[in-house]
This record gives sequence, C-alpha cells and structure tokens, in this order.
Amino acid sequence: MKPAILAAALFAAAAVRAAEAPSEFQRNAALFQSKCSKCHTVGKGDRVGPDLKGVTVRRTNEWLTSFIAKPGALLDSDPEAKKLLERFSGVRMPDAGLSPAQTAGLVAYLEAVSAGPSGPEEDAGLAEDPPEAKVRLPDEGRRVWWPGAAGALVLLAAALAAWRLAGAGPAAMLALLAAGAGYWSLGGRAYHRLLGDQRGYAPAQPIAFSHKKHAGELGIACLNCHHAAERSDVAGVPSLEVCMSCHGVVKKAAGAQGPSPEIAKLTAAWESRGAVAWNRVHSLPRYAHFSHRAHVADGIRCQECHGPVETMQTLRQAGSLSMGWCINCHRRPPAEAPSHWKRSGGPLDCAACHW
Amino acid sequence: MNEAQTDREDGIKRREFLELLGAAFAAAGCSPRRPKEAVVPALALAEGSLPGRADWYASTCGACTAACGALVKVRDGRPIKLEGNPDHPFSRGGLCARGQASVLDLYDSRRLRGPRKGDAPAAWGELDAAVMDALRAAGRSGKAVRLLTGTPAGPAERAAAAAFTARHGARHVVYDPVSRSAVLEAHALTHGRRALPRYHFAQARVIVSIAADFLGSWVSPVEFTRDWAANRRPADEWDLMSWHGQFEAMMSLTGANADLRVPLKPSEERGAAALLAGLVADRVGWTGPRAARGDAPPRAAKALRDAADLLAAAKGRALVVSGSSDVAVQVLVNWTNHMLAAYGATLELARPSFQAEGDDASLPRLVSELERGEVAVLVVHGVNPAYDNPHAEAFRAAARKAGLVVTLSGLPDETSALAHWSAPDHHALESWGDAEPGLGVRSLRQPAVAPLYDTRAAAETLLAWSGRPASAYDHVRALWRSEVFARQKAAADFEAFWSEALRRGAVTSPEPGRGEGSFDAGALTRLSPEPAAPEAAAFEPVPYASTMLYDGRQAGNPWLQELPDPVTKACWGNWASLAPEDAARLGVIEGRLVRLRAGALSAVLPAHVQPGQAPGSVVAALGYGRPAAGPVAANYPLEKLLPIEREAGGGADLYPFVGLRSVSVEVLPGMSLLAKSQTYDHLADPLTKKRREHLRETTLQELLSDPRAGNPPEPTAAALWPAHEYKGRKWAMSVDLSLCTGCSACVVACQAENNVPVVGKAEVRKGRDMAWLRLDRYYSGTPGEEVSESGEVETAFQPMLCQHCDNAPCETVCPVLATVHSTEGLNMQVYNRCVGTRYCANNCPYKVRRFNWFDYAHQDQTQNLALNPDVTVRTRGVMEKCSFCVQRIYAASSEAKSEGRALKGSQVRPACAQSCPAQAIVFGDANEAGAPLAEALGDARSFRVLPELGVGPGVHYRTKVRNKKV
Repeated sequence: MKPAILAAALFAAAAVRAAEAPSEFQRNAALFQSKCSKCHTVGKGDRVGPDLKGVTVRRTNEWLTSFIAKPGALLDSDPEAKKLLERFSGVRMPDAGLSPAQTAGLVAYLEAVSAGPSGPEEDAGLAEDPPEAKVRLPDEGRRVWWPGAAGALVLLAAALAAWRLAGAGPAAMLALLAAGAGYWSLGGRAYHRLLGDQRGYAPAQPIAFSHKKHAGELGIACLNCHHAAERSDVAGVPSLEVCMSCHGVVKKAAGAQGPSPEIAKLTAAWESRGAVAWNRVHSLPRYAHFSHRAHVADGIRCQECHGPVETMQTLRQAGSLSMGWCINCHRRPPAEAPSHWKRSGGPLDCAACHW
Repeated sequence: MNEAQTDREDGIKRREFLELLGAAFAAAGCSPRRPKEAVVPALALAEGSLPGRADWYASTCGACTAACGALVKVRDGRPIKLEGNPDHPFSRGGLCARGQASVLDLYDSRRLRGPRKGDAPAAWGELDAAVMDALRAAGRSGKAVRLLTGTPAGPAERAAAAAFTARHGARHVVYDPVSRSAVLEAHALTHGRRALPRYHFAQARVIVSIAADFLGSWVSPVEFTRDWAANRRPADEWDLMSWHGQFEAMMSLTGANADLRVPLKPSEERGAAALLAGLVADRVGWTGPRAARGDAPPRAAKALRDAADLLAAAKGRALVVSGSSDVAVQVLVNWTNHMLAAYGATLELARPSFQAEGDDASLPRLVSELERGEVAVLVVHGVNPAYDNPHAEAFRAAARKAGLVVTLSGLPDETSALAHWSAPDHHALESWGDAEPGLGVRSLRQPAVAPLYDTRAAAETLLAWSGRPASAYDHVRALWRSEVFARQKAAADFEAFWSEALRRGAVTSPEPGRGEGSFDAGALTRLSPEPAAPEAAAFEPVPYASTMLYDGRQAGNPWLQELPDPVTKACWGNWASLAPEDAARLGVIEGRLVRLRAGALSAVLPAHVQPGQAPGSVVAALGYGRPAAGPVAANYPLEKLLPIEREAGGGADLYPFVGLRSVSVEVLPGMSLLAKSQTYDHLADPLTKKRREHLRETTLQELLSDPRAGNPPEPTAAALWPAHEYKGRKWAMSVDLSLCTGCSACVVACQAENNVPVVGKAEVRKGRDMAWLRLDRYYSGTPGEEVSESGEVETAFQPMLCQHCDNAPCETVCPVLATVHSTEGLNMQVYNRCVGTRYCANNCPYKVRRFNWFDYAHQDQTQNLALNPDVTVRTRGVMEKCSFCVQRIYAASSEAKSEGRALKGSQVRPACAQSCPAQAIVFGDANEAGAPLAEALGDARSFRVLPELGVGPGVHYRTKVRNKKV
C-alpha cells in the first residue's frame, strides 16, 4: 500500500474511530503506538531500541515472535539478541505481556509499514490528540456561588458583632470588610470552593518530572508508562524500572549542555535501590472505589478526568474528583464521548463506587 | 465574680478564650492545605503483575496435614486471601475455615523475627555452629539424636528429615497431636501394612460412622465433605441418595448431618463395632473366624441391626469408618469393610493416604529416653510436644534432661519456652515445599511473598545440619525432577513440566497401586481384651479436635477464636458439654463452672448442655488453654480500647484427658457465660410448639412421591411497593440445605474477603459479633424436648446472610438513604452516608445487619496487612452487612469490559460460594437463562425465608432432605 493512501486512510479512520470499530491494521497500529513507540521507530532511526524498518526481512518470523513474546528468555540465550543488547547499552526490552494474537498482529503491522519509505504512523493521527485539543472537564468553569455568599455573610456578621459587642466604629468595620474583600479578590476565592475541592493542587515532587516534556513534546502515550490503567483498577505511578528503560540511556535533556540533575536523581535512586516517595496528587477517599480499566475500556480519554496533563510542567489536579463531578459524567457524558458510552452513561448505583 | 476579675486581669476572659478557640478551629477547617500523601512505586514489578491487581498463585494449604490445594491471592505483594484450588485432586476447590484463616497467621505479630537463643535474639551462623557442635559431640559420645515431628508436610520435608537422620544416626519420631494411629495399627494387623486408607465417600451409598467426625475434623474434611455431598445432591435419581448413620457420644458436625444419629459412649464403641461386624457377617454369610459377639445399649443395638441390613444390601458400595483410638475397634471396622467388599471400592489401601502417619507409641518412648538422659540433641519441628499431647507434662519435665533442644516453630509456643534454641521456620505462604496427601498425588507449595522476617525454611535448616546445604527451592526441584518428572510421560522438558505443575498446583502421576492386600482374619482372634467398663457414676471424657482450633496450633488466630462452633455456636474458649439428663441431675445450667477431675488432673470449664449427647459423657475441645499462645488466645486484646474485664486464660487444656476412661464432674459455685452467636436453638415456637417454616425439611421417602414435599407454595403477600423491574441483571443466590454441613468455611471466607472485624468475647456475649454470614443451627422439638418422633435429635443448618430483599424493610426506614436498592437487585449499604441510627437493623426481619459499636481492633499494624484493599474498613457508628461481595461483581464487570466481552452472572462467585467444600451455594444472575442459578431457583425444593412478609428476598434456599430409610 502506498504511504500516502495509507496515511489518508488512517486520517479518515481516526476521524471516525469513535463511532466505528477499528480495522485490524488500525488496532495493530494503535498497539504499536501504545506498546512499542516509546523506544522504537519504523524508518526514523534508532531510539532506545533499534529502528524496526525491515525487521521482518532481517529476522525470521519465529525469532521475531518469540522475541516479542518473551524478550527476557531470548536476551539470555540467543546470540543475536545478545549482540543487540550490547549495541543498545544493555537496555533490556521489557515483557509487554502481549497475547499470541497481539504479537502476530504486531509482526503483520511491521511488515506492512516497512514496505513504505518511512514510517507513516506518527503522521497518521494515531498518536494521542495534540495538546491543544479542547478538553472540557465536566464542571470546569462552573462557578460555585454559595461559598462566596457564605463568606460574605460571615464577614458581615463579624462586622456587626464587632460593632455591637466591641463598640467598633464605622472605620474599623469598613477596614474589616475591605480586608475580607481584598482577600477574596487576591486569590482567596480559589480556595473557598466546595469543601474538599482540591482542584489546582500541585505539590512539588521529589524529582521534577515534567508531563509536558514526556507526554506533550515527546508525545509518549499515557498508557506507555501508566500501562496498569488498561488492566488494573489503578493506573499506578510507574515503577522506576519503567523510567529506567529509557533513562538507562537518556541522561540529558534535548539541547541541554550537561546531564540533567533530575535524571541524575532518578538514576541515583535506581542504583541505590532506594524508593522515590512521590506526592500523591489525585486522591479518592477510601470509601470510594474507581476502576481505571473500566473507564479506559469505555474509551474515555485520560484527559477527561486528569485535564491537559501533556501541558503541565508540574502535575496538578484538574478535576475536583467530587461525587457530583463523577455523577455529572455518569448522567450526561460529554459530547465528545464515544457513542456506546453516550447511550448507556455510567452506572448510578451507590454500590458502583461505594462498598 | 472574683474569678472573673482575676481573668480580666490576665487580659483574657474564659469565654473569650473559648470563642477564639472555636474561631481557630473553624479557620483550620477552611484551610486549603491538604496533608501530603506519599505514593511509593515499586522499583521493578514482578513479571506480569500490576499495581492494584491481584495475582493468584497455586499452592498448598499449610494449616494441617490434609494438604488441600490453595490459590493464594496476592495484592501489591501481600497475600491477603486463600481460596480452594479447583484443580487439586483432593480438595477440588473447597477450603476449610482453618485453611482460610491461616493467611492471618502469616501476619501474626508474635512470629519470631529471627533465630533465638533461649529468649535472646541470635544469628543463624551462631545457631548452626552451636547445633553442629552438639551434633558432633553426640556422635562422639554415642548419645542419641532425635528428630521429633508431626506427619511430614511432604516428600521434600521427608527427604530433608531422612538426610538429617542418616547423617547423625538419628531416629525420626513421628506423632500426630490429633492421632489417627489406631487406624494405621489396625491395618498393620489385618492387612499387614501400616497405612491409612484413602476413603472414597462419593462411592458409598451407605455410610456408617462410629465416632468419626469426617465432615468436621477427621483426616481430610474438605475432601470428604465434597465426596459426601456428591450423594446428597439433588438429581433426577433421588433414590441414589446415600444413607448415613452416625454413632457417637458428642454431637459432632458429622453427627448433626447424619440421617440417623444414635448416642453412644466411648466405652460402648467396642461392643457396637463388634455387634455391627457380627450382624454384617451373618448377613453376608461370612465363614471365616469371627471376633467375639459384641453388645450395645438397646437403642444403639436396634439402629445397628438396621444399619447392618443396609450395609449388607449395599455391599461394594458401603463404608464403615471409626474415629476410635482403640485398635480393636478399628480391626473390627476393617473386618466389616472387608466383608462388605469395601476395599478397592469405597476405601483404598492400594493408593493409601499420607495425611496421618503418626505413631501413638513413639512419643512415650521418646519421653522415657529423655528421662533417662540418653538424648543429646532433640530437634522439634511442626509439633508442640510440650502442649499438644497427653504426655506433655512428662515431656516438659524430661526435656530438661536433653543436652540440646531446638525447635523449628515460627511462633513462640510451649516447646520453644523450654528449648535452648529456636530456628524459626517460614510460614507456609513464604516457603517452597510440597505435599503428597495420597499415593500418586503431589501438590506443590510455592512462596507467595518473600519471608517477612529472618526465618529459614525447615527443610533448609535440616539440610544445613545434614552437611548438604541447599535452598528449599533447589531441594524441591531436584526431588521433583528425579521422582515426579521422571515417572510421567506427558512433558518431555523439565522446565515446561515444572511451570505447568506450578501453575496447576498439583500433579497426579499414574503410579501403580500397591494392591489392596489380603485380609488376615487371624487378627480377629488376637484382639486385645476389652477393658473393664468404667464405673456407672463416673463420666467418660471425650476430648475432641474442634472445627475452629483443631489441635491448637492456631490458638492465636482471632478469626478462629471468634468463629462459633458449628454445633454449640459458642466461641472464645472451650466448654464442657453435658447431656441434658446429666445436666438436670447435677443441677447445671449453661455457663455454670464445672471441674473435670481424674486423679491429680483437673480442668475448670463452663458447662454447656448439649441435646443429643450420650448421657454419661462429658465433651470438651482440645486446643484451648495454651499458656504460651499469646494475648489473643488468652482473651482478645480489645482491653486497649474497651473497659472490659479480662478473663484469665482462654479455656482449659484437655490434652491430659486424652485416653482417660473416666473423670468425675464437680459443680463449682461460679458462672462464666458462654459467648454464643446464636441463643435460640429451635424451629418450633416454645409456646405453641408449632414448627416455624423458615427452614424447610422433608424426607427422601416423601420427596419421591411429591417433589414439593415439605415446601408448600409461598403465600401471596400484599406488597406496599411497586415491583422492581430488572431489565439487566438481577443478582440472587441459592443455598442447598441438603448439602450444607455447617462447616463454617464460608464464615471465615467472608471475614477474610470483607475485612469483617473481630470483636472479642465480651462483645459476642452482648450479641455484637460482626459476621456478615452466620450459620444458624436448629434442633428439632422445643427447649428441653429435642428428641423427635423418630427418637433422635435432628439438627439442621442454615447460612443466614443479607437476603437482598426487593422490598427491603431496611431501605424504607433509613433517614439518610444510606441503604438503598441497586438496579441489579443489590441491597446497598453506603458507609460514608450512614449516621448509625440502627433503624435498619431493627427493621430487618432476618437480623443480618451488624453495627460497629467501636472502632474494632485495627491497632495491630502487622495484622492489618491481611486487609483486603478492595473493601472499605468500616469505622465506629456505621452499619454493615453482606454485600453479595459487590467488589467481586464490579471487578468481574471491569475485567469483562476490558476484555471486550459481556459479563455473565455465573462468572461471579462470592467468597462464601467459592470456599464451600460441598458446593452448597450457587450465585449468579437470576435472569441468565440456563445458568446453574436459574436451575436452582426453578427447583421444586426452592423456597425463601419468611415469604409471608412480602419483602421478596433475593436469597433462596432448597429444602433439606433426610434419608429416612430407617
């Protein structure tokens, strides 16, 4: 197939992919994108691992299949694999946990795209939507009026009390009211939302990891690192091994002069087998249970709850994670939600989350 | 006035201070600061595992020597639940209460952190050097080295023990705390082979048991329950239902499930066995030598005649078992089985069981060696000889004369208290090992977690002391390579074979049997003379292994301490059961302290009056009264939280009474109320004597003429509410009361799955136990008049849990809507909304709601590691109850969704249904056509409890069927 036609087909497919079941090729392309593209390209040169263009010609089908299925076993035994390992600085390919059907699909995909002059997949719109894609959180921009009103009432009551009980003069009362209004306008209102609303919470992290860099500029798909989200209830902060699968090689930021001090922190933690205690940003109460895999399987994009993470230098909480916020989606899924989702909505039973 | 002035002089008034304080708190409440919470990801995850997702490993349960197959659920690196392994050829998916509870033993905060010298921590090198020195010195001086163990856990441990004994010329002494020695000895006499046969209850249409509690604690209860239930299962061929007669002194779990149960004192077992054998010999025309004719009390004699008729008619499909420790009784039983052509059919010597190999005579022999000072080194593993046998006192005295005593126990116990060194073994969930419950069946044990402490596998310890150090992993693999892999043909490559064996948990190898052997009738003429009957006024003691504590090794386990006894429904400590006639004669009521005395021996226990018990017997459980079992066994450590009185000890030690023929019972002045989870014992209304129909029963004979026997149609009750429309799924359950034996595995499974707290003895006494699933036990008749028309006490069990009513009375009274109905028929309890009015519990006709009166017992941080992270830990003031394991429903639904398939109701199994050895519980979607649940709900035996209320329960039961052939 000609790359241009392919690219056009993929564009078209991407446009309607929410409504239609993806073709086998698209499924394989998506699989490559989520599982392999972090380290491999097709026709764009070596990255963490080798360029896979023409790999189906270089290697036999059996070798390739067994390598993808169980990289660890082959890296330990096969001389070819050992040579590769040496060439790529001893960075071992992790076991992606693919089914035999998925492995076969990947091989077929590599064969198909190798035929073209360069890998078209990155231009084909299969990557996560670009950062500027419009992401509307369910209750973003919705003003909550009553904390402000309550605050004003409290302030008024305090002023009255000061006048009646302490005999404060009008000037003192005015000063009190002015102080309150000042506080409010100078940012106090950011905090005085619904109690427990933690939007905007962005604690400093022990290593200044940037989602903007990784998810935004490098375009690494969310599931590449948070792969548990697909099969587990929790998305999980990636294990250091996941970081080191790239940073075993990548030691400095692109265009930077010297090695990055932040990557050095990571390497030090890995080498000393020390733990990195990240500060939790998204936290649900213990009596509320959320399943990532159920939402991912429903085609809900990560940004719909987590906000434009690919634009965040420091990760911050975008949604309020309050019950009303969840329920709003379960009742009225946003317009851009996949069609099957719109039909059913989410469950509204208490026991869907509380047990 | 004065005071106020003083305050003013200080610059602030008391009232102003309080105002400021209030304002400060209010301000703090508005603070935008949020406490920091750390997320520490793993450095590297184990292959294939994911955070937040459970991995399951096939292993072997280590709670007793039955070696059932277990699946270990590991969440984020911690084993949190054990379930039965359906692929295991013995247990086939069930797991008993003790097995389920053994996961909590892993997190017992009393576990030894490392080797010890006396009471002081030591290093392994130091310990090994000291032991090796002692062993070498023993070798030079020619003094004895003894290895004392229970039945070895499996071939790997047996090989390690053999290596040790070979190296040091030691003798391996094996005894079982709950002895099956008589069965093995009897087979040595009758078949020339000291072996424990493997019993096949599924093949037996007629079962007669003389005091063998095979559904509760005898040899392999999970396997036997599964097999027994196979012939109690509703089917088209109801006439194939088995008949089960039980002759016993105590009301055992097995007796409570028998079709005919006749009280029989231990001293009458010999006569009864001889009578039964003689009657069977008459009926099958036995021509060989005979044993002397026995006799039994009139009631038992009549029942034995009937039983003999049935047994002889079912020749080849009949089985007689006995739990007696009298070898002569077992010889008579073997003879009966031989005449019934049972060998090779309902029990097998060709492929014997290895679940009990102990020899009763071995321990007294060792004790006398110790007393003579002949033993230089004594290594103890897997048993607790200073407590768990009738010679414990002599052992404690004699062990001081041994040169060096080393125990491999991972917990401090009575033996480690007098040992010079402790070399703690791993918990079963931390170690590599294997088991061979029967010939040709090998079960693997794999670690589900890295050792929590500086412990060492027993096999490694023994190998290190044999001069052949090897890791337990290498040791097990080498053994499997040479013994198991070499004999099979299915796999050509050992690695492939090994990983498949690990995945399945057990391997069946087609080993040729050893032949059934021939019966030597001469043994009948060499029976030991019958001992003189105990004097009529004395009581015969019946110390028994209970469903909860068995031999007492798990006495420190709070789940088991709070698990009510299936029959008496009491927990926390043991009691002395008396027959109603004896209790009336002595003037004893429940809770009255009595003293059992035999010579210098004495045990003080609260009394319990047990309908159906043989008059003249006094029954009490083993495993209690352990001085070194820690605070839980003594009393639950709630005293930190609650001002409750602390009771000294947790019951009395009954081991010294094992084997005694008579004791005296003395009534003491005091009382100690039993902690019982059920205080109503009868189905009949005590006033009207009319039977209440919430547990329905019938007999096989009636059922054959009328499929709805005993189960009249539900009355139509007016409903106040419109019916729910379940367009999608409707979760429901069906419990077959014919299969449920009351074994209580489901109770502990539920506790483990749902983080159900333990509340302690004082709270249970107040009726505040928290079990979401309770097992109700009912006797026939009315209080004091339990004996039914058929002349026996009939018992029935009914698991009672939230019925998930359609028109749930709890839902309508909750003022805050904390309990509401789901679109799939679940009655939901929302903890975060509950304010604790307890209206719902008051309005529940089934009394299945539990209230958290306190923040119960989560102060043991180690123990908390066993909590299930998928289920909220409830706090004080919150109501809770069975959720139909909603976390499993949603997990299965998410799993199905992520795999792109539709969820079927039959794919969800709550913890209780999973663990049930009898498979009595069926769960699923009532709207799923063709599913097992739909079939169960459509059965003519299906009924619901209290249908007249019109609440529409979602839990259905099936009528209990008794086979009244006799």
